[in-house]
Amino acid sequence: MAKEKPAPYERGIWVVYLLFLALPVAFFLVFYVYPVIDTVLTSFQRWNGLSPRRVDVGWRNYLALFDDGRFWNSLLNNVRWLVFYLFVPNAVGLGLALLLDRMTKGQSFFKIIYFLPYTIPPVAVAAIWRWLYEPNAGLLTSTLSAVGLGALAPNWLGDPAISTYSVMGAALWWSVGFSFIVYYAGLKNLPQECIEAARIDGANAWQAFWKVTFPLLWPSTAIALGMSSVDAMRLFDIVWAMTGGGPAYSSDVLATQMYDVAFGRLNMGEASAIAVCLLVAAAIVVMPFIVFMSRRVARGVE
Amino acid sequence: MSRHFSRAALAAVGALVALAVQPAAAQQASQIWTYWGSGAELAAIQSVIDLNNKAHADTPVEHVVIPGNTVELRRQLQTALLGGTPPAAYQSAMGYEIKTFVDAGQLRPIADVWNKVKGDEIFPTGLQRVMKVDGEPYAIPLNMHVISNIFYNKAIFEKYQITPPTTMAELAAVCEKLEAEKIGCLANGGGYFWSLYNFYAPLVSVVGVDGYFQIARGEMSFTDPKFKQALELYRDTYVKHYLANWSGKTWAQGGDDVFAGRAAMMQIGDWVSGYLKDLGFKPGEDYDYFPAPGVGKAVLIQVDAIATPNGSETSNAAADNFLTTAASPEAQGAFNLHKGSIAANLKTDPSIYDYIGQKTYATMQAAESDNAVLPNLFFLLPTELGSEFGAQIERFAIDPSDETLASVVEKLESVRVELVDQGAFVTW
Amino acid sequence: MSSRLSHIAVRSPRYAAAAVIALLFVVPILVALNTSLKTPAEIVDVFALPSAPQLENYRIAWAQIGRSFLNSAAITIPGVMFSVAIGAVAAFPLAQMKGRANRVIYFILLTGMLVPYQIVQIPLFSLMRQLGLYNTIPGMWLVHAAYGVPICTFFMRNFFASVPRSLFEAALLDGCGPARYFFSVLLPASTSGLSALAIIQSRAIWNDLLFAMTLTNSQDARPVTVELSALTSSLQIQYGPLMAATLLSIVPVVVAYLLFQKAFVRGMLGGSSK
Repeated sequence: MAKEKPAPYERGIWVVYLLFLALPVAFFLVFYVYPVIDTVLTSFQRWNGLSPRRVDVGWRNYLALFDDGRFWNSLLNNVRWLVFYLFVPNAVGLGLALLLDRMTKGQSFFKIIYFLPYTIPPVAVAAIWRWLYEPNAGLLTSTLSAVGLGALAPNWLGDPAISTYSVMGAALWWSVGFSFIVYYAGLKNLPQECIEAARIDGANAWQAFWKVTFPLLWPSTAIALGMSSVDAMRLFDIVWAMTGGGPAYSSDVLATQMYDVAFGRLNMGEASAIAVCLLVAAAIVVMPFIVFMSRRVARGVE
Repeated sequence: MSRHFSRAALAAVGALVALAVQPAAAQQASQIWTYWGSGAELAAIQSVIDLNNKAHADTPVEHVVIPGNTVELRRQLQTALLGGTPPAAYQSAMGYEIKTFVDAGQLRPIADVWNKVKGDEIFPTGLQRVMKVDGEPYAIPLNMHVISNIFYNKAIFEKYQITPPTTMAELAAVCEKLEAEKIGCLANGGGYFWSLYNFYAPLVSVVGVDGYFQIARGEMSFTDPKFKQALELYRDTYVKHYLANWSGKTWAQGGDDVFAGRAAMMQIGDWVSGYLKDLGFKPGEDYDYFPAPGVGKAVLIQVDAIATPNGSETSNAAADNFLTTAASPEAQGAFNLHKGSIAANLKTDPSIYDYIGQKTYATMQAAESDNAVLPNLFFLLPTELGSEFGAQIERFAIDPSDETLASVVEKLESVRVELVDQGAFVTW
Repeated sequence: MSSRLSHIAVRSPRYAAAAVIALLFVVPILVALNTSLKTPAEIVDVFALPSAPQLENYRIAWAQIGRSFLNSAAITIPGVMFSVAIGAVAAFPLAQMKGRANRVIYFILLTGMLVPYQIVQIPLFSLMRQLGLYNTIPGMWLVHAAYGVPICTFFMRNFFASVPRSLFEAALLDGCGPARYFFSVLLPASTSGLSALAIIQSRAIWNDLLFAMTLTNSQDARPVTVELSALTSSLQIQYGPLMAATLLSIVPVVVAYLLFQKAFVRGMLGGSSK
């Protein structure tokens, strides 16, 4: 039916569409494409960010980077964060959503509490949790001491072996709210007939969940996983504010290393090289999600 | 309903736009940027600004706080300099940081002001060196913080009849005695700086003042056996006796440890004195300091200075006036009264100093007459090496094994070689 | 009667678990609150309650960050409006057009989500300088609108895709051009989607630290997050005022959440729920 539109009118529609797209695309070119190109170019130079002079050094920055243990450690930490973000907050969020799903009263109250930390700026989260993690007077150590387990209390943010995991603890508290809400709404929208059919067929709660409910939650899971992967690669605020990447680079991720090298070491060239590596890593990790998102809605339209 | 809402929304937006656009026009006064955003530090800089605005009412300046620390301030400066909107003057570190800005053509030489205030006479020689690049002065120092003193809790010392040690061996012995009594010996804090500052004492005791400057010039290799010896001395005297979990604390929490008696001592800059006073300690009665063994007659200092970028005529004039004020004994006295450090201008009236300040001031004068005022090595080295140095020393302090020692040496040496290649080192 | 009791018996472990978890969630905030009311000497004992609640910390905190609330509001509200508008404008053709060009453009805009913002920091500030918008609030609007393009486009595209095509075709047959359709029919019909996006954008923009840190440097333009970050990264951290400032900074977004919960949830789901 739509194909019966007269030709000139159709061309007119296209012009309008292009006009609509003009500003967003212009923004994209100016604010995304141009800076990325600029960064790539800088990664082949040596520049301290202050002087008007830049020196071309070819691949030196990249070679220095690949030789540097700190870089590989940062990359490894990003991988750790990716694994963490994909599984832990989502699993906990799903668990909480399931917990609240069957409740009839008091849901709103719990919903508010579980989502609350997600509204807090990461800087604030970092400030609070740094205080909780303080090795003497902090809540965690004090609690352990109070029940006589004081000797077990580690140096939460000061021990290179566990610093990243301590920051993950704070990140878990902060980000569970997102996947919780996503799964909660997903559960509410589930067609009950399938689940009940499975129950009638004799499946127990566990089987009903895994064989019926969880697969039906795929849209929610896709959103949760996708946003998790984006967050894991973009991670900066909470790590920087809690440990600054330390101690001794143990909790560094690529974004914090980049910031430190750029502004703490005044080495823009190497920082740009890190940025390019981060972009490549993010592309590899997040691309499946973007492809999925762009295809999914396309199917919806057509 | 929705029409009312959208009208209200438009009105709100209009109001916000008006609000947002207005203040931009009001930034006419010349700006002084620092990161002293609160407490005593803020009072300190404000007092200098007030003095300046009274003396030079035609070129007033205003204080703008850049939140954060040196790195943040530098970043904002970078932005401003590249963007053509620099402040009239800003809080500068000493040494290499000044050189970086000078090489980039971003700072104004202030020989006129320097000569007017007789900078060569009123500031200690060691300090002058790090205010100048190639003999040209570029910054006026406000203060000196001494970072080679060990502060201690007097009650603990008295209880266990300890006298302040004068050699590394004595320090180690004191620590062992304290630890036998289940008292922590040395408090410390995590981060780039504090462990490094602690390391200076063993370093100087092994390589001497000459060696210290050789390192600053990039002439001494980190693979030199003396450097290794210094690391081992640091390990045996300090690292072994740090209070547990120090790496997870800020320096202020280290100060808390000394205050609460969990640790007897802490080697840190004299800003801890102000902190202990805030907690309730009385200088001289509850706490005191002794110079870190190994530095001998030398005093290691950390400096806050004011430098001025190239700017408009008005802002240059305002900056020059501000610098002149800042160098004066009155301003230096007012600043350091609040800040708790020692005035850079040695002619400042010493009655502003409390017990700790007086003692430091006397030591400073003695060191100056011996030409033994040493600027903080972190700021003498090229920025990249300084930061790496701090990070690696902390790493060693957390894990003082032989493997770590070897890896620390290797990493530092590779950075040094690269920087020598680039010709980055400076003879101060 | 017995079925009611057994009902409760089945429910109560669920409630108990939910309550315990809720307590764990709330504890950090309670500790922050407790700390914010203590004097420096009292802070050392984390379990103790303050002997006399100290509002002094709040006074100090407010002196530091009070002005910045205005800035945050001035940045966020118009910033949200502009970024939602841009998202809707971009999403409309992408939801209507067919064919490969559509998919390609959409895909490209989405790749913006890959870009970690730190990468664009340095080129961005020289760009903003050239535009004369450094350290201005309108500059922040521009930045947030531009960097909101991927997520806002994604969101509104999802939403528009759920609007029946027949509506559009009816408008065309009535002689209504696509532009008029967009402004007079589609947008008014999309208020729930627009408001949901507005809510989550407001959270993102209010909580933004990086752009604000890069592009503002004076009290006239700095938002709350930057001021708070200054308190955390200064060389001497005073925990009392810091906790007070943290709690103050949390209040606006929490209040917004409490008032607009439904919109928040819809926002989280990416705009595709009915």
